[in-house]
Amino acid sequence: MNTKLKVSKVSKIYPGCIANDNVSLEFESGKIYALLGENGAGKSTLVKILSGVINPDEGQIFLNDKLLKLTSPKDAKNNNIGMVFQHFNLFETLSVFENLSIDSGENNDELRILVNNILKKYNFKIDLDVPILNLSAGQKQKVEIVRCLIRNPKVLIMDEPTSVLTEQETEDLFLSLKKFSKEGILIIYITHKLKEVLSLCDEVAVMRKGKVVSISKTLEENLSSLANKMIGESLNKIKKMSSNNLSEEQILRVSRLNFNSEDPYEVNLVDINFTLSKGECLGIAGISGNGQNELFQILSGETLSNNGSIMFRSKEISKLNPKERREYLMAFSPEDRISQAAVPSLKIYENVALNNFKTSNFFERGLFNERKIKDHSKKILSNFSVNTDNVNLRSQFLSGGNLQKLILGRELITSPELLICFNPTWGLDVGAINYIHQTLVKINEQGKSIILISTDNDELLQLSDRISVINKGKLSKIMSAEEVNPEKLGLLMGGGLVD
Amino acid sequence: MSIDINFLGILIGAIMASSVPLILAASGELITERSGVLNLGVEGMMIIGAISGFALMVITDNLFIAIIGSMLSGLLLSFIFGFLTQSLLTNHVASGLALTIFGIGLSAMIGRDFVGIPGKEFPLLFVNLKEAIPLLGPIFFGHSIIFYFAFLLPFGTNYFLKKTKIGLIVRAVGDSPMSAANQGINVLLVRYCCILYGGAMCGLGGAYLSLIYTPQWIENMTAGRGWIALALVVFATWSPLKVLFGAIIFGGITILQLHMQAMGIRIPVQFLSALPYIMTIVVLVIISRDSRKIKLNTPTSLGQIFYKEK
Repeated sequence: MNTKLKVSKVSKIYPGCIANDNVSLEFESGKIYALLGENGAGKSTLVKILSGVINPDEGQIFLNDKLLKLTSPKDAKNNNIGMVFQHFNLFETLSVFENLSIDSGENNDELRILVNNILKKYNFKIDLDVPILNLSAGQKQKVEIVRCLIRNPKVLIMDEPTSVLTEQETEDLFLSLKKFSKEGILIIYITHKLKEVLSLCDEVAVMRKGKVVSISKTLEENLSSLANKMIGESLNKIKKMSSNNLSEEQILRVSRLNFNSEDPYEVNLVDINFTLSKGECLGIAGISGNGQNELFQILSGETLSNNGSIMFRSKEISKLNPKERREYLMAFSPEDRISQAAVPSLKIYENVALNNFKTSNFFERGLFNERKIKDHSKKILSNFSVNTDNVNLRSQFLSGGNLQKLILGRELITSPELLICFNPTWGLDVGAINYIHQTLVKINEQGKSIILISTDNDELLQLSDRISVINKGKLSKIMSAEEVNPEKLGLLMGGGLVD
Repeated sequence: MSIDINFLGILIGAIMASSVPLILAASGELITERSGVLNLGVEGMMIIGAISGFALMVITDNLFIAIIGSMLSGLLLSFIFGFLTQSLLTNHVASGLALTIFGIGLSAMIGRDFVGIPGKEFPLLFVNLKEAIPLLGPIFFGHSIIFYFAFLLPFGTNYFLKKTKIGLIVRAVGDSPMSAANQGINVLLVRYCCILYGGAMCGLGGAYLSLIYTPQWIENMTAGRGWIALALVVFATWSPLKVLFGAIIFGGITILQLHMQAMGIRIPVQFLSALPYIMTIVVLVIISRDSRKIKLNTPTSLGQIFYKEK
């Protein structure tokens, strides 16, 4: 049976922000639709409206020409609209089966048979009786999908489903989605990842600042045309001057660094050696969980290492804590923006003040010098194009990209000699990634050094002067960026090529 | 020997009777907390239940009305808490503490005219069996109906949480109210119901004290039992059967240390009086060490304010 979903002139206005501005879209079953846009473009608002979580201020939604009244998530469910949220809507402490049974009409025995049939049909391997918190992100997502499938959905909406998945899990998901589509389920796929749109979807609607700016067939698009539509301007291609003649001046020397952890979940580091020159960007590639966390923590001083292992400008710093290292003009941008780099519930200027230098005089006799911190924070916000000038805003209300700009800005405004960053663009949209990359290139050009620990190979190849790969706590030989290509990186990351 | 056995039976019976208010209040609070709401007003709701039960008994001379009234008064007090925390989104901890202080003050004010009035005899069940069977008789028979209700309650609570759909929904709301709301569950309704139920059980626990256990009104007669009930819930890692176990240990050591004091054993009285509190917590911590179980039983959203997007 054919399903048609029509969104007609939907608007949703929040104080100070038009989240959806007169959005009209039409969908038909048999195809996979992409809804593409940067963070904050209004995609999530639209899907929340479609799933009944929030109510639009204006506009209507029609399913097969029938006007839908979606005032609660129940209404969406009753109209066979299924939704898989970006942040899973699962109950972590309940078992998989309990999660599925909570809103089903069947009794438990019937439901178990139904669920087992679905699992078998789509070849999902999930143990129904373990609590959700024991599952991987990919498995959790499958539970969410199964929960939708139980109700025979006509429409399945996926909100940025791959942001937490591994590559293999992503491939599996795409196969399943294509299968659902063949079976007549209308699929709406929300994303900011261009490649996914091209490889999965049939049609693409691009949203920008709450408006639909383009609707087209994916076949007629390519990466750069989609990127331009999404951010509304051409991206400046980042070009790093190839620098074969690196400066002689040595900034950092790591020698015979060993780390044996007592925690069985941490990776031991084995005999790490490298040097870093002034103005150089050293990339460290690797599959996550091969010692990147431990290396970052040791370089930043969260964990202390053996004596003499880290020399900064020929000064021994192995036993200094992060604050002392900052006084030496080192700067750090950890992987986890929300829990390691910033405190989400604090205001912007308070987060800035956390990074307190002796020279910054943020505190006088133990008291907050609020004006000084706020002025300093304002400078960061404007210098690093954070999209607000309100330093009293709580940091949790910043999008990922803006939060990362704030963190980098906080680190860079003191002109450090060395920046160590760990996955600086993880989970960000194209525009923000581009900005961060430009910033990193710029500080290299100013003669500052960077250690870039990243799991994104494109990023590493684009920005690094030299690259090394970390695998099971060991660094590979350090190679100049020219001698590396994606295949070689891939081999080294898998531990295949050892020389 | 037969005298000893009889004494032992009476002793165990007394221990069980003394743990009844704790079981009632803790079982109620357990349901409240399982829905993600931390109500620190247990002591206040218990004492209000105690005075309203006693006052209604004196005024109406009807124990049934007294018991129902005590539950309603606890429920009413918890409704104030629910309105503050769920509808006005105030902080759970501060609102709960305020509720306790309010309850203690209000009960003292209401209770001024009831001090010194003797209580009424509460009907006991199976009295003839109590004397007929040695040892087991005094343990299991000759108690009030509330006693039997209290000892069945943890099993019922366990069954409710683990086996029923509504119990599942309560646990889901306590785990993640946001997810629950997105699943179309009425989080506010579930939480209100759990809060009111908790209040009613605390009121009943208080009434057990003033109508049955020591049938009279004394100012501040709950004497911190509300706080112990709260601690029981946490240290029993939100498991109803462990709450029952903890309450019996607490009651047991309370009674035993009284006997030890009476026997004149040379241990400082202060230490003996502190013993029930220390031992209950130590024992519960030891039996609840499984960190995996703790994680699964702890309501993840406990004490967090929930509001719905519009």
